[in-house]
Amino acid sequence: MKHVKRIFFLSTALFLFSCTKLDERFRSELESVPGGTALNPADLLLNAYNTMYSPYTDQSRFWAAQQHTSDETVGPTRGPDWDDNGVWRVLHAHTWNADHGFLRDTYNELLGIQFAASQVLTANPSARQAAEARFIRALSMFSVLDGWDQVPYRENLTDFRVLPKTLKGTEAADFIINDLKAVVNDLPDTGPTAAAGANRNAAKALLMKLHLNRGVFANRANPTFAAADMQEVIRLGNEIIASNKYSLSPATVPGYFGNFAPNNDAISTENIYTLYSSNADRRGGNVRSRWYLGLHYNQTPSGWNGFTTLSDFYDKFSAADVRRGGSYPGVTDRTGLRVGFAVGQQFGPNGAVLKDRKGNNLAFTREVKLKEDGNDLEITGIRVFKYPPDLDGEDPSDNDYVIFRYADVMLMVAEAYMRNNQAALATPLVTAVRAARGLGPLTPLDLNTLIDERGRELYWEGWRRQDLIRFGKFLQPTQLRGQSDATRLLFPIPNQQLAVNPNLTQNPGY
Amino acid sequence: MLRLATLLATLFLFSLHLFAQNRITGTVTDATGKGIPGVTVTVKGTNTATQTNETGSFTINAPSNATLVMSAVGYSVTEIALGGQTSVTVRMNTQESALNEVVVTGYGTQRRRDLTGSVASVSARNFNKGVVTAPDQLIQGKVAGVQIVNSSGQPGAAAAVRIRGVASIRAGTQPLYVLDGVQLPGVDARPGSNLGIGTSPSTNPLNFLNPNDIASIEVLKDASATAIYGSRGANGVVIITTRRGQTGQPTLELSTSAGISTVMKRLEVLDGDEYRAALKQYNLTSGDFGGNEDAFDAITRTAYTQNHNFGIGGGSEGARYRFSGGYQDIQGVVRSSQMRKFTGNFSGNFTFLESKRLGLDINLLGTGIQENIAPISEDAGFQGSVIGQALQWNPTHPLRRPNDSIWRNHGLGATTVNPLALLEDWNDRAITSTLIGSISPYFNIVNGLQFRTLISLNKGFGNRRTMLSARTNIQGLEGIGAAGISNNELTTVQFTNTLNFNRQVTSAVYLNAVAGYEYYSTNARNFGVFGRRFPSDISLNYTNLIQYSEQSSRGIGSYESPVTELQSYFIRANANFKDRFAVTATFRADGSTRFGENNKYGYFPSVGFAWTLSNEDFLQGNATLSNLKLRLGYGAVGNQDFTSGASLNRIVFDQQSRSQPQFGNPDLKWETSITSNIGLDFGLFRDRLTGTVEYFIRRTEDALYDQEIARPGPPGRTWINLPGNIENKGLEVSLNGALARGANFNWNVGINGAFIKNRITGLGQQFFETGALRGQGISGATSQRIINNQPLNVYYLARFTGIDRTTGQSNYEGGDPANNKFYVGSPNPKAIVGFSTDATYKKLSLTVNMNGAFGHYLYNNTANTVLPIGNLGTRNIPKSLIGTGVLENTANPVAPSTRYLEKGDYLKLANATLSYRVGNIGAFRNVLISLTGQNLFVITGFSGFDPEVNTNAAVGGIGSFGLEYTPYPTARTILLGLNFSL
Repeated sequence: MKHVKRIFFLSTALFLFSCTKLDERFRSELESVPGGTALNPADLLLNAYNTMYSPYTDQSRFWAAQQHTSDETVGPTRGPDWDDNGVWRVLHAHTWNADHGFLRDTYNELLGIQFAASQVLTANPSARQAAEARFIRALSMFSVLDGWDQVPYRENLTDFRVLPKTLKGTEAADFIINDLKAVVNDLPDTGPTAAAGANRNAAKALLMKLHLNRGVFANRANPTFAAADMQEVIRLGNEIIASNKYSLSPATVPGYFGNFAPNNDAISTENIYTLYSSNADRRGGNVRSRWYLGLHYNQTPSGWNGFTTLSDFYDKFSAADVRRGGSYPGVTDRTGLRVGFAVGQQFGPNGAVLKDRKGNNLAFTREVKLKEDGNDLEITGIRVFKYPPDLDGEDPSDNDYVIFRYADVMLMVAEAYMRNNQAALATPLVTAVRAARGLGPLTPLDLNTLIDERGRELYWEGWRRQDLIRFGKFLQPTQLRGQSDATRLLFPIPNQQLAVNPNLTQNPGY
Repeated sequence: MLRLATLLATLFLFSLHLFAQNRITGTVTDATGKGIPGVTVTVKGTNTATQTNETGSFTINAPSNATLVMSAVGYSVTEIALGGQTSVTVRMNTQESALNEVVVTGYGTQRRRDLTGSVASVSARNFNKGVVTAPDQLIQGKVAGVQIVNSSGQPGAAAAVRIRGVASIRAGTQPLYVLDGVQLPGVDARPGSNLGIGTSPSTNPLNFLNPNDIASIEVLKDASATAIYGSRGANGVVIITTRRGQTGQPTLELSTSAGISTVMKRLEVLDGDEYRAALKQYNLTSGDFGGNEDAFDAITRTAYTQNHNFGIGGGSEGARYRFSGGYQDIQGVVRSSQMRKFTGNFSGNFTFLESKRLGLDINLLGTGIQENIAPISEDAGFQGSVIGQALQWNPTHPLRRPNDSIWRNHGLGATTVNPLALLEDWNDRAITSTLIGSISPYFNIVNGLQFRTLISLNKGFGNRRTMLSARTNIQGLEGIGAAGISNNELTTVQFTNTLNFNRQVTSAVYLNAVAGYEYYSTNARNFGVFGRRFPSDISLNYTNLIQYSEQSSRGIGSYESPVTELQSYFIRANANFKDRFAVTATFRADGSTRFGENNKYGYFPSVGFAWTLSNEDFLQGNATLSNLKLRLGYGAVGNQDFTSGASLNRIVFDQQSRSQPQFGNPDLKWETSITSNIGLDFGLFRDRLTGTVEYFIRRTEDALYDQEIARPGPPGRTWINLPGNIENKGLEVSLNGALARGANFNWNVGINGAFIKNRITGLGQQFFETGALRGQGISGATSQRIINNQPLNVYYLARFTGIDRTTGQSNYEGGDPANNKFYVGSPNPKAIVGFSTDATYKKLSLTVNMNGAFGHYLYNNTANTVLPIGNLGTRNIPKSLIGTGVLENTANPVAPSTRYLEKGDYLKLANATLSYRVGNIGAFRNVLISLTGQNLFVITGFSGFDPEVNTNAAVGGIGSFGLEYTPYPTARTILLGLNFSL
C-alpha cells in the first residue's frame, strides 16, 4: 500500500510542470496583425523605397534586362572571367530561357516592391505617404508590364494561399494610370534638388511613359499610338516644362555628367526622380557597379573589367557631343579616368600608362566578341562610365540613381508630337536638348533619327530596350547577333513562378 | 530486514580494517592482450572497488591475500587471487555472447538482448586515435551507415554527419546529440564572420567535449530506437556517455601527447621553371619575373600539436566522483591558425538514506576554446582567400622583396593579392565558452521502479573579433580596412521527469519501461558592431580601436530569437519473453512553439520486434551458430530543426524601417520520417565471428521547405510542407572477427559497409537550385538541383566532351553550355565503408582504422575558377593543364561542366597506432607509449586536397554536398603519446 502511494505521488510529479502553452513569443520582431501597431506607415514606406534599390540599381537586374538585350551593351566572356554560366551572353544573343536566374530575380524583386508599397496602404498612412507608396507601386508595376506583360497584383497581403490576380497589357496599363492619377496632387511639388523621393513631376513623367507605351503594351510587334495617349504625353510633359523647376545642364562634359555625379542631388538641374543614395546614411543601391563594371583591375579605382558597348553604337556620336565624355574634375585629375566612353590607352594617376594583367597596354579596343578568344581578352570593348565614381565614399556611393530626367521628358514630348504628326512642334525641343550637348539641330528629324538621339541622350540609363521596342527596332541584328524573333519582345515568366501561380501563363514562344 | 543490512554493512566495514592493506596495480586485458577500460575491479567480499582507465590499468588497495573480481559488460566475470602479488595482469574472456551487455538508449538503458531497434555502440577502446577535437571523429568509419564528412582540414572544422543518408531538404540533417541525458542544441555560440574575403566556415558544435572524458558512444539509427526522441529523432540520435568515478582510493591518470602536422596532399601547380616553359610553349612574352617561388609552401608550415589530460576518480560507495581536465593546443598547417581548448569536467554520483533509495547525479562541464582563424572562406570572390591566392601566385614572382618585406605592390595586377600580405593583415580571433550543468536526483520507489528528474542548463558564450588591415589590396577595402566584433549567447534548458521500470516480472517475462515528461527551450542572442576606415600605417588591432572608424561606415545590430520551446510526453515499453521474443512499443507526443496554431503537436509512434532464433530448440547447441537474432522495426520520427517564427506574419526592424520578411503559414506541421528496419545479428564459432546485416527504408513526408510563393510577396519564401517524399533505402553490413587468438599473438578485424540509395518523388514541377559555384567568371552559377526522381543534390551541369584541337576551346554536348545541361551524377556515395584491425604481440600492439566512400562525384570548384588556363601569363595553373597534347586556348571560358566533376571514391588510412605497454616504472604505473599517425595516406583519383570535403555552397538555405572550393588543407599528423597513472 505504501508503494502504491509512492508510485501515485511520483507519477503525478511527472506531469507537474506540464502546462507550457507553446505560444511563439517574439523579442526582436513583432507579429503583424492587420491594423496592429506593428504596421508603422513611415517605417514601411522607407522599406518600400529600400526595396527599389536591388531591382533598379544592381547590374544583374532590370538594368541588365533593358541594356544587355539592346544594341548598347554587351557582357563579353573574357576567358576565365565573366562566363557566369552564359547569363550575359544569352541576354545579348536573345537566347535566354525561362530558367534565367537574373530575369527571375528581377521579376520577383520588382513584384516585391509592389508588396512593400501595398503594405504601406494597409497601415493608416497619411495622404502623402499613401501617394508616395502608390507612386512606388506604379513604377514597379510599369516595369513588370514592360518586361513581362503579365503583372500579378496581390490584394490579400496576409495570406499567401490567396493567389494574386493577373493584369495584362492595356488593362494593366490603365490600372496603373488610374491608380497613379488619383494621387498625383497628394505628392510634394519638388524640384531637382529633391528628386530623391516620390514627387508630383516624377508621377507625371511616369504617366508620360505609360501613355507613350500604351500602344506598345497592346501590341508589341506592331504598336499603334492613339492620339489621345500622345496628347496626354504632351500635356503632362508641358506641365513639367512649365513648372520651371528644371533646366538642361550646361553644354560641357561636367555639365552633362554632373547629373550622375556623387553630388548630383546638389548640382543636377535635370533630375526629376532618383533613388536616394547616401554613404553617410548607409542607404543606397549598387550604383557603384556602374563604374566597377567597366574599369579594368589595374585602373584607379580598380574594377571588375566587364561590360562594354558596341562600336556601332559608339559611332553614333560625333566628336563634338559632350555626351561622348572627357575629363571630369575631381575624378580625371586624381585617377586618370575620363567619364563617358573609354576607348584606347588608359591612364592611371599622374598620367601613368597602364597595362593589363597579361602585360598588354591597357588600350580598350573598339571591337568586342561575345566570347573573347585572344590574348587581348582583358582589353577588348569600349567601356562606359556614365556615373563619375564616388572616390571618397564606399558602398553605397553617394551618386543618386537616376530614373527620370528632364531631357527624357523633352524628348518624349517631341516624340509624341511626331507620332501625332506635329513634327514642327517637336523640332525646338530636340534642338534644345542637342544644344545643351554642344550640338546643332538634328537633321532630318524623323523617328529614325529620334531613336538614335534618345540613345545618345539616355545611353546606359536602363531605357534602351523599351525605346527600341517602341520604335520597332529591338529585334534587329547587332554586330554580335542576327535578327531575332518576336518571342524576344517579352521575357519569359520564370518557371518557378509558373509552378506556384496558376493565374500566370507562359509568354508565347517559351 | 533493514537492520540486518545495516549490521552486515557495518561488519564489512570493520572487516576492512582487519587485514593489512596493500596498493595493488594491475592491467586488465582482453583475449588479444589489449587493455579493457571501464572494468570494475572489486576486492571480493568488500565494497572496495575501482575501475580501469582507458588503457585497462587500475590501482586498488587490498589485503595481500585478497581475491579481486573483474566485471565488465560483454566479458565473463573473472577472479584472481593475489597471493601476495602487488602487480597483476588479468585476462578477461568475452562472454559467450554479448547479449547481457547493457546499451544506453534514450532515457535509460536496455540489455542488448532486449533490443529490437538498430543501435550501434562504440566504447572508448575502439575510438579513433590521434588529434581529435570533437566526438564524432571518434567513431568515423566505425558504424555502418554513418557517414561523417569533415567540411575541411581546419582544426575543429564542422562535419556533416549523416546517419542512413540524408532525408531533409531544408530542415536540419545532423543527428541529435545527447550528452549524459542532456540534449544538445546542435549549434555553438561561436559567431560567424564575413569580412572582405567571404564567409568564414563554421566549426563543429561538439568541439567543447573532451574526447578523453567519453566512455562510450551509442548511435540510434532506426525509428524503433529513436522514436523516444520523437520530433528530434529523424536524423538519428548519438548518445554520448562520459566516464564516471568508481569507488576506492583516488587514482590519478595522466596522458600527454605531442605531434607534428604537415599538409596531407598538395595540389600540383607549376613551379617557376615549369611556368617559364609553359609561357614559352604558349608564346607569351610577359609573366616571367625570373624567380622560383612556392607560395603554398610559404603560407603553410610544419605545425605542432600538444594534448595533456588528467583525471582523478574515486570515492566511497555513497559518493563517487571524477574530476578531469584537459588542454589541447593544435597549430594549423596554415600559418597563424591555431585552436586551443581548455576543458574541465566534474561528475559526482551520490546515494542517500539508509536504504540508498535516494540518489543524486551531478555533472559540470566547462570548456573554453580560443581560435586564431586563417583568412579562408567558403565563398571567396575573384580575389580569393589565402588558399586560392597561394595556388594562383605566379611562381616566378617572389613573395618578398629583396629586403625581405612582403611584396605588396607586385607585378601581378592590382587585384592579385599576395597571400603573405593577407596573412599579415588579417586577424580573426574567436573565444567560445561552454558551460553545462546538470543535476539529476532519483528515487528508487520499489525494486526496479525508479523516478528520476533531470534539470540541465547549457550556456554558450562566443566572442569574435576580426580585422582586415587597410594595407591589403582587397577591392573596396584597400586604404580603408575593416573591423568587426560580435558576441553570441546561447541558452538551453532541459527539464525531464521519468519513471523507469526494469525488472524480471515473471520467470518468463522481463519488462523494461519508461514514461516521462520533458520541457526543452533554447534561446539565442547576439550583438555586433562593425566599422571601416582605419589608418593603414599602424599595426594595432583595429578591433581595439573601433571608435576610430568613420561614423558613417559603422554598422550595429542585435537580435534575440523568439522563445523556442518543446514540450513532450513519452512512453516506451519493452518486454522480453523467455529470451526468445522481445517487443518494444514507443510513443512520443511533442509540442513545439515553431509550428502553426493548427498543428502544434506531433505524434511519433514506433514498434519493434525481435526473435532470438539461437535460443530456440532447433538451434540450441548448434556448434557453429552461437547467436542468431532477427529484428523488425517500424515507426515515425520527426524533424523540427528550422527557423522560428515561420508560422506567423512577422515584422522585423531594420535601420529606421520595418518590413515583413516572409509570409507565415499557420498550417505548418512536422516533417515526418517513416522508417522500416529489418536486421539480423549473428555470431559464429563461439562468437569469434559476429556481425549484423540490416536493410532499411526511410521515407520522409511533409518535408519542411521554404517554398517560392506566388509573387508579389515579401522577399523571403514561405515555409510549407512539401508534397514530395525523400526516400533512402539501404543495406548495412558489419562484421567482426578474431582471426588469431593466442597467448602471445592476437588479431582482430572489423569491417562495415553501407549501400544507400536516395531519391526524391512527388515534387511535381518544382525544383530548387543549390551547390553555388564560387570564384571569378562564374557569378550566380549553381551546380546541383533538388528535383523529382533524382537523388538529393543531383549535379545539373553541361557535359564536357573535350578540348577542340584547332581552337583550343572546350566542346560541350549540345553546344552552348549555358543552355545544354544534364543530370550527371550524385554527390551521395553508393557505398560507405569502414575497416579496422588490431594486432597484438606480447606488449606491442598495432591498430589501424580506415574509412572510405565510393560511387559518388565531387565538384572541383577550385580547379574550375581558381586555376583555369586563362591564368597563364599572370597567375599559376595546375600541372595537369600542360603537356596534355592539346594546347588549350588561354581564352577558354570557365563554364561549369562535367570537366570539373570528379569521381569521389576514396579509401583513407585515417589513423594507425603502434603502442607498447611498458608496465610499472617505480611510482609510475601502467606506463604506455604510443605512436599514432593520422591521415597517413588516401587512395583516390580526386585531384583536390582531400576527397573528404564538403565546402558549404548552400543557396537560400538549401544545403549542398560534395563541393570543394579552396578549403583549409587536411593535415597529416604524427603523434607521440605517453599514458601513466599514479
